[in-house]
Amino acid sequence: MSSHSSSHSESQYPADMWVLPNAQRMSWDVGGKTRSIPSLYKLVLIATGVLAVLGVVGFFMRLSADGFSANGHGPWGYYASAFAYVFLITGAAPLVSVAFRITKSHWRRSISRIAELFAVVGVLNVILYIPLIFILPSINNPNFGAGVHGELVIRRTIWMEVPFGAPHLWNFLGLLALAVTSLAILWMSATPDMAEARSSATGLRKLKYNLLSGHWYGTGRQWNRQKANLAILGALYFMTLIFVQFLIVSDYAMSLIAGWKDSILPPLYTVTGFQSALSLILIIAFVMRRWGGYREYIGISPFWAASKIQLGLTLLWTYHLFAFFITFWYGRLEVEQNLLRYLLFESYGPIFWANLLFIFFIPFFILMWNPIRKSDWGPALAGVSILVGSLLFHIRMFVGAFNAGDIYDLGLSSVPPAVFPDIWDVFMVIGIIGLAAFLYLVAAKVIPILSIWEVKEGALYQSKRRLFHGEYMVLAKPE
Amino acid sequence: MAKRPILGLFNDANAAADAGDGLKSAGVSEKDYDFLTDAPYPEGAFGEREEKHRLYIYPFVGAVLGLTSALLLTTMSQMAYPLVTGGKPIISLPPMAVISYEGTMLGAILFTVLGIIFESRLPNLKKGLYDTRITEGYIGVLVNAEETQHDRVADVLNQAGAVDVKRQS
Amino acid sequence: MQEGRPLSPTEINRDLLRSILDTPRWFWPVVGILATIVLAAAITIGIMINSGLGITGLNRPVVWGFFITNFVFWIGISHAGVMLSAILRLAKAEWRRPATRAAEVLTIFSLITALSMPIIHTGRPWRAIYWFFPYDFARGIWPNVRTPLVWDPSAIFTYLTSSTLFVLIALIPDFAVLRDHTTGLTHRIYSLLAMGWEGNPRQWKMQILSGVLLSALILPVFVSVHSIVSWDFGMAVAAKTWHSSIFAPYFVVGAVHSGVSAVVFVLIILRYIYGWQAYIRHEHVDALGRLLIVVATGWFYFFVMEVIFGIYGREADEIAVRELQFFIWPISGWTLVFVITTYFIPVALWLTKAARRNLWIMSLACISVNIGMWLERYIIIVPGLMNRGVFTFTWNDYVPRFPEMIIIAATFAFVSMLLLLFSRVFPLVPLYDIKEGEFLRTEVKIGRRVVPATFRED
Repeated sequence: MSSHSSSHSESQYPADMWVLPNAQRMSWDVGGKTRSIPSLYKLVLIATGVLAVLGVVGFFMRLSADGFSANGHGPWGYYASAFAYVFLITGAAPLVSVAFRITKSHWRRSISRIAELFAVVGVLNVILYIPLIFILPSINNPNFGAGVHGELVIRRTIWMEVPFGAPHLWNFLGLLALAVTSLAILWMSATPDMAEARSSATGLRKLKYNLLSGHWYGTGRQWNRQKANLAILGALYFMTLIFVQFLIVSDYAMSLIAGWKDSILPPLYTVTGFQSALSLILIIAFVMRRWGGYREYIGISPFWAASKIQLGLTLLWTYHLFAFFITFWYGRLEVEQNLLRYLLFESYGPIFWANLLFIFFIPFFILMWNPIRKSDWGPALAGVSILVGSLLFHIRMFVGAFNAGDIYDLGLSSVPPAVFPDIWDVFMVIGIIGLAAFLYLVAAKVIPILSIWEVKEGALYQSKRRLFHGEYMVLAKPE
Repeated sequence: MAKRPILGLFNDANAAADAGDGLKSAGVSEKDYDFLTDAPYPEGAFGEREEKHRLYIYPFVGAVLGLTSALLLTTMSQMAYPLVTGGKPIISLPPMAVISYEGTMLGAILFTVLGIIFESRLPNLKKGLYDTRITEGYIGVLVNAEETQHDRVADVLNQAGAVDVKRQS
Repeated sequence: MQEGRPLSPTEINRDLLRSILDTPRWFWPVVGILATIVLAAAITIGIMINSGLGITGLNRPVVWGFFITNFVFWIGISHAGVMLSAILRLAKAEWRRPATRAAEVLTIFSLITALSMPIIHTGRPWRAIYWFFPYDFARGIWPNVRTPLVWDPSAIFTYLTSSTLFVLIALIPDFAVLRDHTTGLTHRIYSLLAMGWEGNPRQWKMQILSGVLLSALILPVFVSVHSIVSWDFGMAVAAKTWHSSIFAPYFVVGAVHSGVSAVVFVLIILRYIYGWQAYIRHEHVDALGRLLIVVATGWFYFFVMEVIFGIYGREADEIAVRELQFFIWPISGWTLVFVITTYFIPVALWLTKAARRNLWIMSLACISVNIGMWLERYIIIVPGLMNRGVFTFTWNDYVPRFPEMIIIAATFAFVSMLLLLFSRVFPLVPLYDIKEGEFLRTEVKIGRRVVPATFRED
């Protein structure tokens, strides 16, 4: 639904809808901004570092209290939620740059590096996954026939024939492939910017830039190869990502609840990822614009264009949820009723309603207004709400799955109670998020957070021109 | 004395825009002239007046009415034939959700369409001065002016480069 | 991305009104042939109503056969309209311009056709009305709003109404052009339809707003329609493989896949029969081809998810149906054809630019998709029903007979006929949209290279 304002001053777009920065000044200015570390930045860096330390403390306390298998996988539910949350968002984030580069959208230019920088968190995802290898219960029912545990020889899993190393090894390799691919994308995309800075940089920074971009001279051949490589790696990343998301959500959520057969969960998880990642990128862009001094490089157009997609994803999220709910509600098998009561209405009821409020109702009522979508704060505000909702979604799904009783049973035969976090769980959740933020903040000081070459390239294709008696934006799209 | 229409035809959009400027400086009120075109020129291309409208209210009104009627339809037909299904209450929301949703959307769309027609001031039964060349790409500048002003207006239009100036016979 | 030469408004009027202002010689004979097929089907329907559905191949346990398959197929085709015009309008894609109205009109006609299928399938169509709508107060007969079989008509009614109005609103300016180019009775009719349109800024502003606003409002309806069709199947636990939570998005993406392919095919045909080479250009077909790669791959993802989580539960009866679908002849053969024609052949073709710019290859790829998508619906519906219960006399396979064949064939004739008749009285390519595109196009010079560009208001 869009509302249109009634006067030219409003309906003709804000003056800073499209910004056309001066190329030379930009290189110099952004290089300076990357090098300098303001005191507020330092403060945030320290804060996230402290959180990360708390996370490590929480992790070891949890480890000493419960170990990796003594009390089953249940106590690690919050750890898994936090891992999945960070993986889902940071894994999906580089796609924002990949996808809109493929569609040749000009508005993406100033935010694409924000997206690609999340590649540095990919390494963290691989490391965070390692404990989960030890936590996941075996696919073969260890006590089958002893009359102790469940009725299934092999629990329900997407690994039908249980190939070698399933599922741990393959999940690990998938995460590793994502980390490597996204780093490669980041490196390829940032090479021209680093090459530009290598002459002006000094000391360690100069050495690093020379090392990473020494080969780059910006020849036509190099640009063409860079373009082609980015497209191929992007497509590869996209497909791997969807697959790994499917693995994680099936292995660590669905297959841990006996009898939960829900084919829409992987797409729902993927939609959650896109929605949250886009939101986080818009929040960062807003912060850069408002407090980081990037106002002349980031116009309103990325917000205006991306918020439509953000709104669409928000609606899609609810649509997927409803498709799940109505199928189970109508099916009314015992396991389906128990699942709905467990995940949606009774045990995790309050969390579900809060999840729905933050991931759908609040962002929907913010984003449905055209004037708000034409601002920088509106999409960012909706984004904050979406990120909160997304965290609640992960808690509901993963903590719920980790504590749903006997996984070798045929179906969920009772409704287990919800599990609330203890102090170490809280430490782990905020610690993991803090650690991811810390890494990102460090990376933003190493590699420019604005894709200088893309913004420069964009300036070639965009200009303001007169048509009859009005002045409009001209956008060119090279084929 | 009543205002009567006078129509200048231009084959160049810039000239039509100039005519608009000319009329403004000749003291013709912005409300009294309009640009007739065969395609949507970008807003402000002729330096024309701003159009105020309330189109955005219509979908909301329609949605509320549609939702209400859909809820009435579903609750009342279930109450009229109370059949307990699957141990659920007679009135339970999930089975009504789909029809309520469709009702809401239908209401919103119907009202939006009505709104578009109304806000376009259609149907326009007493069609004034017009020229079929407008749908061939000419731009018409339709001026409402006192009859005494007509010669002055015609001069402005001609000066801007009108290929034809028509008055109501 | 613009090719082709600049066009003047007069030229645009002349070319795009050609289908209306002069009738080609082949027109009425073709319409006649199509009408004959439709008439034959109408007679068959009459016989079927008289003798009962027994004359078709429908029998226990397969009570939903070709009619319902065809219903889902045409609903799928109808999804192209909004997919193309709404999404591309909202995304401000320049290349949408010639495609939008043909897509919307295809939506309307395929919806009408789709709607007729379950009504024919009821056997006693005149009774259908009080299943859908509460009107028989005296006898206390009320529709059961809890069943997806009632949700369905509500969704289709909403979609049909809104897409019809969407097309009509967008036609008003073109009615005005026709009004200015005709005389006599036709002039009076078009004058009535144009409602006194004169093309002032206010009217254009509303026209532009209506495109955006109605697109945004119809999009959610479009998603709901095919979701609800999928819930006709998905809400039931009895027929195995149907009760899957992914059905809604899976059906929607499949519908977009088949619908957009159908639009591409229709556009190519229109380009050929009315000589619209300057309007429906290779770049448009190319862009649609690239869009289709994405849609097809998305569809394939949902297809794989649906199959994986079908087997995931390891329930014996579900596995049995999957076995029937994938390993037991002849259904396994149809499954193979379906997967290859829906995904592998067309996507392999679309991946090369040369193929995307070859109209013959594009036509074949789009037909291939639609053959596959028709089979997909058949393979979802029929094997799911072919369960063997306790009584051996219900152990029947489904073999379609002549009445189904002729009625299915006639649906294609019916839609083609309606499209031709429509193009005889209304322009199938929006004139003003093309004209707008013409004066918004410009160029940007970078060094020695000239890059096509467009003016944008935002």
